[in-house]
Amino acid sequence: MIEAQGLRKHFGRTAALDGLDLTVSAGEVHGFLGPNGAGKSTTIRVLLGMLRADAGSTSVLGRDPWRDAVAIHRDVAYVPGDVTLWPNLSGGETIDYLTRLRGGADAALRARLIEDFQLDPRKKGRGYSKGNRQKVALVAAFARPAELYIFDEPTSGLDPVMESVFRAEVERVVADGATVLLSSHILSEVEQLCDRVTIVRAGRAVETGTLDELRHLTRTSFRVATAAGLAEVAALAGVHDAREEAGHLVFDVDGAELETVLAALTRAGVTALTATPPSLEELFLRHYGDRIAVTDEDAA
Amino acid sequence: MLLVLLQQMRRDRIILPIWVLGTAALSAVTVAAAANEFGDATGRAQILAVALATPALLALRGIPNGDELGSAVHFQSFAWLALTLGLMNVFLATRHGRADEEKGRRELVLAAPVSRMTPAVSALLLAVLANLAYAVLAVLGYQAGGLPLEGSVLSAVCLALIGLVFFGVGSLAGELAATTRAASGIGVVVVLVAYAFRAAGDALGTPDVAALTLDPAWPSYLTPIGWGQLALPFTADRWWPVAVLAALAAVLVAVALVVHSRRELGASLLAERSGRPAAPATLRGAFGLAWRLQWPSMLGWTIGSAALGIALGSLVTAVSQLDFSANPSLQAILQSLGRTDQTDVAKALIPALTAMVGSLAAASGVQAVLRAREEEVAGRTEAVLAGAVSRFAWTGAFLGVAVLTVAVVLLASGAAAAAGFAVAGNDDFVWLALGQCLVQAPAALTFVAVAALAVAALPRVSVGIAWGLFGVGVVIGYFGQLMDLPDWLQQASPITQVPELPTDDWLPTFVLAAIVVVAAVLAAAAFRRRDLST
Repeated sequence: MIEAQGLRKHFGRTAALDGLDLTVSAGEVHGFLGPNGAGKSTTIRVLLGMLRADAGSTSVLGRDPWRDAVAIHRDVAYVPGDVTLWPNLSGGETIDYLTRLRGGADAALRARLIEDFQLDPRKKGRGYSKGNRQKVALVAAFARPAELYIFDEPTSGLDPVMESVFRAEVERVVADGATVLLSSHILSEVEQLCDRVTIVRAGRAVETGTLDELRHLTRTSFRVATAAGLAEVAALAGVHDAREEAGHLVFDVDGAELETVLAALTRAGVTALTATPPSLEELFLRHYGDRIAVTDEDAA
Repeated sequence: MLLVLLQQMRRDRIILPIWVLGTAALSAVTVAAAANEFGDATGRAQILAVALATPALLALRGIPNGDELGSAVHFQSFAWLALTLGLMNVFLATRHGRADEEKGRRELVLAAPVSRMTPAVSALLLAVLANLAYAVLAVLGYQAGGLPLEGSVLSAVCLALIGLVFFGVGSLAGELAATTRAASGIGVVVVLVAYAFRAAGDALGTPDVAALTLDPAWPSYLTPIGWGQLALPFTADRWWPVAVLAALAAVLVAVALVVHSRRELGASLLAERSGRPAAPATLRGAFGLAWRLQWPSMLGWTIGSAALGIALGSLVTAVSQLDFSANPSLQAILQSLGRTDQTDVAKALIPALTAMVGSLAAASGVQAVLRAREEEVAGRTEAVLAGAVSRFAWTGAFLGVAVLTVAVVLLASGAAAAAGFAVAGNDDFVWLALGQCLVQAPAALTFVAVAALAVAALPRVSVGIAWGLFGVGVVIGYFGQLMDLPDWLQQASPITQVPELPTDDWLPTFVLAAIVVVAAVLAAAAFRRRDLST
């Protein structure tokens, strides 16, 4: 579906893409994960033929996105990260217009999506909040079936209820055989939806694989008040970086070992427990020794 | 209160001085221009007599009163200055009113220990200061030009008060409408309607040629601009309009403040009109979008150009009925407006006046083409090109709408002028006027195609390039001869290359048409080769 190799793109003297590789196969939901400024949006714009890469090869649906943009776009639905609408077109008009560019909306589907996303289609573009602008673009993307869906940080303005509507739609189109590329800087969002993930940092793909393969990246952080001793917990399989802080034990647990660690804790007795998923920032700090702020400057 | 006012002044430190100084400079320049163009008292009397016989000029300018220099200044500039000050005050009111509420800035200020009325009262103070500054500068300008003191003060005070009346209108519009756009829209329409009523009233008025003055018809009495004019500064020096205007401004501002004191933050008396839930069938493809975005502007340009055509027709008709044997000096003045030494003055005026129509058409087309750049900067081009729309179609759509706009604008003014001549029985001029308008097309389209090329090839500086070239072209085309510019430079402006009908020399026209085609093709090719940039 998508095959990009060694993409390079410079804006002036800054390198936005520095030899990026990305492969998305048919039928999968592919997470494109990285901090802001890592080059995710630039990659997507190259894949859509909005930008021309300085070097590297790209193929989308088996074609060159720069030369054959129109042919490819008939089968691609895209939602940009920062949606701007025409101020004097209503949401409904915008949805119809954008879907017509690809051949026209499925009327029943359009009506159901507007209902599910709780969108008022009569409002003018200038009157929508960020979240509602995003919903207009999402309805336009889902209202006509496509082979490939590209979402650039699609849930950044949505509340949790709408995020779940979005997830349900992604699951629906994938069940129908479509392929999805989903960029995000939120690890948990990608975990919930994606089969495979590519992690991008400073214009380069640093890891790619299935979620299981990347399981070592997704440790859960625990903070527990327990009768068990520090040494006892540190010795359990899958426990890392165990230490004692203000009377609590603090440690990280590999996703695969959660069950055994929890069982051991329960046997010892627990009076308080908080568990937090690792943030992307922690992950990058741990694996690449980066502070995200530094990465931002590199690739901004 | 002081803090709020200082912050409002700081925000306006560039925009407001431009308006105030620009308008004041316009006032001062008019004195010099009137002294220059109208000549001595006899010259003024002759020209004002022509003006009194020409409804189009009365509509465009205003009412004269006597043969003093001040009378010529009042006739030339009062209504235009009122229009400018009206717009300045409407924008000032919405900028510090509805816009702050819509963008959420007002909420931040009111969350501090600041009363709900403070920003509104502070904006009123700002408006008073701005209009007062204009009045002081205008009086100084008039004094420098040698006009009598009482008339100068009266004229400036009337204009400042008209400004405050429209500040009241803008404030009230901000209370009524939900969005800044709608509020400014209402305000601007009120200003334009006030101007139009005055124009109609003056055009239909009863002239008194002996006293060189005019008793306007009833529509002028319905507008603050009309009342202000009736002060007749420099001759009659009536002060009653000052009281009437002050009272009207006070009432409008008071009503706006009372509504403001009762209204919740962000609420509006008029709900925003909701749009259609689905798109009409015509909204499809790149052209459908370009048309949808541009037709309101196109309509505006068309109405403006038709009005210009009517003015052109009635002015030329009036001039063609004059007997120049009595006053050859007037003939010389009118001839200097035309570009050739055509002996038939009326005929000489047609190419000069249709050149203005051509510039208007060029401006409308340039604006339509630059809309494509505006879309790109806003990020909306990306949304369209992510659909099955080619780069070629995108460029073609906006260029196509621009060409259509130019054609409609030229046709509208040509048809309006021709209809005027037909009604006046001036059959010689019917086809000449229409043809002379249409023959502007290649020159106007040259500016359009070059603007399209700039958008495609040099997007970041395209707006500056397009309007810059247009400005330079117009200045060279209109004033090149007056300024004694070298011949090659004069010939470089497309406006200079427009033929005067009837002509046998069509070569320049074909050259311009070829330039248009080449620039358009290059634009389409260049846009296919570049990255989208915001």
